[in-house]
Amino acid sequence: MVSSRTTISCLCMILAVFFLSSCRENEETVKVSLEKREDIAFKQQLPAITYAYLPQYAHTESFQRHHLLVEYLAEETGLAIRQVFPETFDDHVKMFSQGKIDISFSNPFIYVQLANRFGAKAMARIIEEDGRAEFRGQIIARRDNQGIKSIKDCRGKSWVAVDPSSAGGYLFALGHFVDHGLKLDDFKEVVFVGGRQENVILGVYAGLYDIGSIREGSLNVVKDKIDISQIKVINNTRWYPGWVYAYSPRLPQDVADKISVALLRLDYKNNPRHRAILDAAKCIGLVPSNDRDFDPVRDLSKKVGLDLE
Amino acid sequence: MSDYLPKFLYRLRFRTKITLGVAIMLIFCGLGIGLILSGMSSNALLLEGKKRGMALTSGLAFHLAEPLLSMDLLQMKNSIDNIRKQYDDVIYIFLTDASDNVLTHTFTGGFPTDLLRVNLDSRRKQPLLLTTERGPIYDFNARIVLGESNLGTVRLGLSRSDMDAQIYRQRLTSLFSTLGVVGLGIVLALWFSRTVTSRLNRLRKSVEEIVRGNLDVQVGFSPEKYCWELIDCNRRQCPAYGDVRRRCWYLAGSLCPNCLDREYPGKMESCRHCSVYKHNFGDELQDLAEAFDAMAMTVKKHIDELTEREKTIARQQGLLKTIMNVTPDFITLQDRELTYTFAGKAFCDYFNLQEEQVVGKTDCDIFPSEQAELNLREGKEVLLTGHPLAKEMCLKRLEEQRWFHVVKVPVYDENNSIMGVLLTARDISMLKKFQAQLIQSQKMEDLGRLAGGVAHEINTPLGIILGYSQLLMDDIKDAEVLEGMKIIEKQTKVCRKIVADLLGFARNSQSVSETVDVNDSIRNITNLVEHSFFLNGIKVLVALDVNIPPLTGDEAKLKQVWLNLLNNAADAIGKDGMVSVQTKLDPQGERIEISIADTGKGITKANLSKIFDPFFTTKEVGKGTGLGLSVSFGIIKEHGGKISVLSPPPAEYLPEDFAQSKHMGPGTVFIVELPLGSAPIK
Repeated sequence: MVSSRTTISCLCMILAVFFLSSCRENEETVKVSLEKREDIAFKQQLPAITYAYLPQYAHTESFQRHHLLVEYLAEETGLAIRQVFPETFDDHVKMFSQGKIDISFSNPFIYVQLANRFGAKAMARIIEEDGRAEFRGQIIARRDNQGIKSIKDCRGKSWVAVDPSSAGGYLFALGHFVDHGLKLDDFKEVVFVGGRQENVILGVYAGLYDIGSIREGSLNVVKDKIDISQIKVINNTRWYPGWVYAYSPRLPQDVADKISVALLRLDYKNNPRHRAILDAAKCIGLVPSNDRDFDPVRDLSKKVGLDLE
Repeated sequence: MSDYLPKFLYRLRFRTKITLGVAIMLIFCGLGIGLILSGMSSNALLLEGKKRGMALTSGLAFHLAEPLLSMDLLQMKNSIDNIRKQYDDVIYIFLTDASDNVLTHTFTGGFPTDLLRVNLDSRRKQPLLLTTERGPIYDFNARIVLGESNLGTVRLGLSRSDMDAQIYRQRLTSLFSTLGVVGLGIVLALWFSRTVTSRLNRLRKSVEEIVRGNLDVQVGFSPEKYCWELIDCNRRQCPAYGDVRRRCWYLAGSLCPNCLDREYPGKMESCRHCSVYKHNFGDELQDLAEAFDAMAMTVKKHIDELTEREKTIARQQGLLKTIMNVTPDFITLQDRELTYTFAGKAFCDYFNLQEEQVVGKTDCDIFPSEQAELNLREGKEVLLTGHPLAKEMCLKRLEEQRWFHVVKVPVYDENNSIMGVLLTARDISMLKKFQAQLIQSQKMEDLGRLAGGVAHEINTPLGIILGYSQLLMDDIKDAEVLEGMKIIEKQTKVCRKIVADLLGFARNSQSVSETVDVNDSIRNITNLVEHSFFLNGIKVLVALDVNIPPLTGDEAKLKQVWLNLLNNAADAIGKDGMVSVQTKLDPQGERIEISIADTGKGITKANLSKIFDPFFTTKEVGKGTGLGLSVSFGIIKEHGGKISVLSPPPAEYLPEDFAQSKHMGPGTVFIVELPLGSAPIK
C-alpha cells in the first residue's frame, strides 16, 4: 500500500516536472512567402502648398508644433497644404528660393533675407506665449559661474550660439553686445554648435562654454531634459519683431490671402480647437504683419555686419 | 515483481544502497530541476529575443521619424541597413508611411508583398510568428507616431531559428551541466558511502572477531592527541592515562576534577563541557566505535575474570572430586525428591555401580525394595524434621558382612530451606572387630586372672595329692592298687602341668634378657623333636639364613615357642608329612622372619582368627590345653614381635623340595617376626 502510494507520488512529480519543463505558449503562426517578390514604386505625392517651419528644432518637434496648424489651414482654405522639413536654416532659404517652400514660418532675419533676396512677403506675426508679437534673445551662463554677472563680464569669455544666422539665438545677442561695446574679437571664442537652440543650452549647462545666446523661451524646451535652474540669464536683448509667416511670391495672392485670413482667424481665447492648434505651435495668436515691421532687424543686420541683401 | 524489488534492495550492500539512493535522488532532482530551469530559461530566452526584436523595431521607429518627416530616404535606408547588418538574425526590415507605401526595405530583388497583408495592426500582441521558406520568423510591427499622428510603420523580421538554436545550445549546456553535477554528486556519494561503510565494515569485522572469540579489537580511530596530552595533567595514576584504546569519558574513576568520580554514562553530563571531549569527540559512528571498543575491553576483562574463576572452580571441583573419590567413606547427595545428585566413588564401587547409574536415580532404582523403603523413610524424615540422623548398620554383600556408621544430614540452600539430604557412611567393620577383640581380650584377661587365682589355689592341694600319692605308692604293694596310684600320679601331673600353663599364661614369669642366636635355638629344638617326628613319618626340613644376627631376648621362652609350633605342626600332620622351618633376614636388616610350615590338615578360615585365643583348640579332648599358641603369642609379643598364621601357606614359605601328596592336608604356616632393634613390630 505504502509502496503504491510512493510510486504514484513519484509519477505525479515526474509528470509535474515534464509539464513544467514543456510549458510554452502556443503561438499563432501565419504562413508567408518571402520568395514571392514584386517591384514596388513609391506613389508620387499630390501637388500641395508647402509649409515649412525654420528648422529651429528637430523635425519631430517642428511636426508636433505645426502639423495641427497645417491641417487647420488646409481645412480652412480647402487647399492641399503639406509640411516640409528643411534640414538647416540655409536649407530653408535654399528651398524657399527653389520654390519648395510656399509658406515660410521663420525668424525675422531669415524673413528679411527671404524678403530681400526672394521677394517673400510677410503676412502675419505670431503672438508669443508671453502675449507679445515680438521676441528677444537671452544671454545665459551657468548659475554657479560667479565670474559672469553682467553683460560686461562676458568679455574674454567663450560664447556659444546655435548658428550665425539665428536671430534670437545669435544676432540679437551680437547686436546687444555691440550696443554695449563688445565686439566679436572681445570674446575668447565664438562657437556655433549648429542644429538647435537646445545644443547651446546643453553646451553651457555642461560647462563647455562660459556664455550662450538663445532665443527667449528656449529654456522651457529643455526643462524636461536638464535642471534649468542651473542656468542663469545674464541679460536680455531688445525686442524685435517675432516670427513671421511669409509667403512666396510664386504663391497666388488669393491663395496667400486665404491663408492669411485663416491664420488671423485663429482665436486662442474662444475656440478650443484653435487653442489646441496654437498651444501646439507655442503661440497664442497671430497679428497681421507687413514688411515694414522688420526694419529694426535690417538695422541690426547693418550693426552686426550681417549681409541680408 | 513487487516482492522482488524490496528483496533485491534488501540484499544490496549498504554502500551500494547509499550510493544508489543518492544517485537516484540526484538524477531525479538534477534532471527535474534541469528540465524546469531549462524550460524556464528557454522561455526567458524566447521572451528576451522577442523583447530584443521589439526594442530594435521601436528604436528604429524612433530614429526613422526624423528622416521620415524630411523624407530622407537615404538616411532611412542607411538606418535599416545598419541594423540589418549589425544583427545576423534580423531577416528583413521595411518602412511604410502612413499610407502604407513602402518607403524603404532591406530586400533585394523585389519586395515580398505577402508581408503587407499580415501583422498590419501594431496594437495586436507583437510579434507575429510567420512561417516562411527561411524558417519561422517573428515579425515585429512598430508605428512611427508623433503625438497622435501616425507617420508610418517599421516592420522587422527576426529569425526564430536562431533563437531556437540558442535555446538548443542552452539546453545542451544545461543538460551537460546537470549531468556533470549529478556525476560529481555520485562521486561524492561514493566517497561518502565509502567513508561511512568503511567504518561500519570495521565495526562488523570487529564483531566477527568477537564472535570468533577475539576480544582484542579496536574499531575507533586513534585521536590526534590523547587526554593527558591535551590537558598535560601528568596524573599517571589515572586509569585514562596511557589508555590509547578508550576515551577517558568511558572510564570510571578518572582523576579529572570535572569527572566528579562518576561512571559512564553518568559522568557524560560533565564530560560534554570538557575541552578533551570537545576535541576528541567524533560523529555518531566514531562514538559507536569507541563505545564498542570500551564494551569489548570491558567484556574481555569480565571474561578473563570469569575464566580465572572457572579455573579456580574447576580446580576446586577436581580437588573435591579427588577427595570424594579417594575418601573410603560413602558420600551421596539427594535432592528434595530424594533423587541422587551425587554419589562418591567409594559408594559406587561398593555397590558395583557407575556414577551415571546412580545420579538421577532414587533408592528404589538402586536398592532392594526393603532397603530402599527404609532409606526413603529416613530421607523423608530428615527432610521433614531437619534433624540429622545417625545410625550403625550392617550390610551383607557377597557373603561379606560390613558395618557402617551412617549419618544423614539436611542440606540448606541460601534461603535456609532444606534442599536435600547428604549421606555419609563410614566403614567401621575393623572398629567393630577390634571392639570384639577388645571384649574378648578383656574376657581373656579376666579369665586368666581367674584361672591364675584358681591355679594358685589348686597348685598346693595338687602338690599334696602328688606327694601323698607318691608316698602311698612306696607303701602299696598290691599291683592293682599301685596301678591305680600311678594313674592318680599321672593325672595329678597332668593337672599340675595344666595349672603351670595356666600360671604361665596368666602372669608373665620372669624374663631373662640375653643374646640369642635364633638359628641355634631353632636347631636345638629341631634336633630334640627330630627323632620323635621321624617315628611318626614326619620329615623336618630346616633352611636357616646364616646371615641372621643374634638378637636380645629370652632363649628359653623362644625355644618354648619353637617347640609349641613344631608340636602343633606334628599334631596337625599326624602321620607322614613334612615340616619346613625357615629363617630369613629382611632386606633392611631390621627383623628376622621365622616360618614353620607343615603339610597338616590346615585351619579353616573361620578358625584362623581364633587360634591364638586361650583354650581354643582343634585337638582332641585331652590332647591339648588350648593354651600353647596363646602362650607363644604372649612370648613373641613380649619380644616386640608378631605372630601370624596362613592356611594354606603361600609358596614363598615352602621350600622347592617340599613334597605334596594327596593324603597331605592343605597345610599351615606360622610366621614369627622378631625385631632386631628395640622398636616393636606393628
